[in-house]
Amino acid sequence: MIAIMTREFRTYFQTPAGYIFAGLFLLVSGFFFAFGNLLNDSSYYTSFLQSILFLYLFAVPLLTMRLLSEERKQKTDQLLLTSPITVTQIVVGKFLAAFGVFLITLLVTILYAVVVAIFGDLAVSQTVGAYVGFALLGASFISIGVLISAVAENQVTSAFFTFFALLFIWFLNLVKSVAPTDPISSTIFAAALVLGIAAFFYANTRSWIAGGAVAVVGAIAIVLLHLFAAEIYIGLIQNVLDWFSLLERFDSFGLGLIEIEEVVFYLSFTAIFLFVTVRLIEKRRWA
Amino acid sequence: MIEVQDLTKRYGRHLAVDRVSFKVAQGEVVGFLGPNGAGKSTTMNILTGYLSATDGEVFIDDTNILEEPERVKQRIGYLPETPPLYPEMTVREYLRFVCRIKQVPKNEIDDRIEQGLHKVGIVEVYNRLVGNLSKGYRQRVGLAQALMGNPDILVLDEPTSGLDPKQIIEIRDLIRDLGSDHTVILSSHILPEVNEICKRVMIINEGRIAKDGDLATITNDLADASQVVVTARADEQATRDALKGVVGITRVDLMQSAEKDATEVLVLSEKNSDVRAEIASAFASKSVPLIGLRVKNATLEEIFLQLTSGVQEVAS
Repeated sequence: MIAIMTREFRTYFQTPAGYIFAGLFLLVSGFFFAFGNLLNDSSYYTSFLQSILFLYLFAVPLLTMRLLSEERKQKTDQLLLTSPITVTQIVVGKFLAAFGVFLITLLVTILYAVVVAIFGDLAVSQTVGAYVGFALLGASFISIGVLISAVAENQVTSAFFTFFALLFIWFLNLVKSVAPTDPISSTIFAAALVLGIAAFFYANTRSWIAGGAVAVVGAIAIVLLHLFAAEIYIGLIQNVLDWFSLLERFDSFGLGLIEIEEVVFYLSFTAIFLFVTVRLIEKRRWA
Repeated sequence: MIEVQDLTKRYGRHLAVDRVSFKVAQGEVVGFLGPNGAGKSTTMNILTGYLSATDGEVFIDDTNILEEPERVKQRIGYLPETPPLYPEMTVREYLRFVCRIKQVPKNEIDDRIEQGLHKVGIVEVYNRLVGNLSKGYRQRVGLAQALMGNPDILVLDEPTSGLDPKQIIEIRDLIRDLGSDHTVILSSHILPEVNEICKRVMIINEGRIAKDGDLATITNDLADASQVVVTARADEQATRDALKGVVGITRVDLMQSAEKDATEVLVLSEKNSDVRAEIASAFASKSVPLIGLRVKNATLEEIFLQLTSGVQEVAS
């Protein structure tokens, strides 16, 4: 795992990828800092931190696009998968490399905070909280990118889909506020979800039995829930979307609160996405 | 050493490998011979654990590769069809990385790389970027990669493809050399190449083993003397006239002659017959100068034609 991580980490700086990521991130965050704080004589650092969240949308796809898609394209996955290491070690190693580059870049922006602290009043607890939140949110976003790079055929589609996945999460709060809460549309939503999962199983196994079984089990679950726990259908869409509302959970960090619940959420979100990535790669060998 | 039972691989509806079974003993050098798309690479990918079989099992020394993948993979060195190289690394960095993922103990890595470099002859490109190397060097770096884990089994998928004749000879010598202390499975679609390196050949076609055995026996079996190429210093008519008296000839076809003022014909006779002596005396008695007489060697394509038309018979 360490070998995979080290190689991947070095690759970031042997190819343009790492420099483009770090350069873009620091350039744009520098703009935000210069215009928001320096030129405005403002020591309100939290607003700066909020605004660089927006950068993640563009920066994370750059960071993760090559990770697994390029291995497949160059056929180097044949080396990795026939070596005496596990798929988990490969995926986690790659994740850690991307996260490392991300963290280093993030740490550079602490210089801005130091500048604010010297020339003004830095809201220390908010800043520390926000940085912890940044790191966790970054980890979650990177895990999404890792998953997509495992599915994508090449770097471009990988970056493209990662961008849209992140954009979707970005707009999730809007989607949530307009989504209907009544039981009927919730049921339709649940049915669509079941169908989607069934289609996913079929696409991965090419067996009608597996896909059909998932659809039938899902349908039974929907009916049973209607009979015995109908209240679950009130606001179901909102509740499901809440699992993915990574940004909303960031708010408390920005206020200087580091809550165990949120930390656990981000870490388990990351772990689940990496786990699904491992399963997908292992599954592909059977296809 | 290696035992494969009823290996089957299906890609959607396409059957890439169809109930293949074979055993390879320790120290054997086996060649997979077959046209492109015959299932050679797929079989190798399953043997090395890159792909999983739809059905069937692979054992390395009685250990199922699915049960203890890490332990089994440590014993296999694999050179896939496309060498798995990272263009942005130098040869040294690359081999060091390979050693680490193959779990080579830290204090042995330098020695291992040193040996590998000398063995495959890439000492001079040691510090160059893999991406800038020629095809021949890349292939050799790929081969060095397969050797890094000090495996006792080598699986080499078309190890000489894309190399120039000199390099091909070097790699063949190297593989023959490796065959003395490794069990080697290699694939090729070039008959003479397998002939040079391997004692045992498995001819694979359409996902099945069409023939398994000693290469000399296989070609002897197939190349009987019922097809003879006759070259005469005469025109076509005289040649045909000369052949007319020979008993057993079923057909005479004109061929493109390589020589000037000569006629070359392909003479087909009844199966398992040898009419060469009769042809020679027929030409002599009619004073037609006979300048060439040889049994037509079965080319790989012909072997396949013969084998695929008689798969049932061979399989029994």
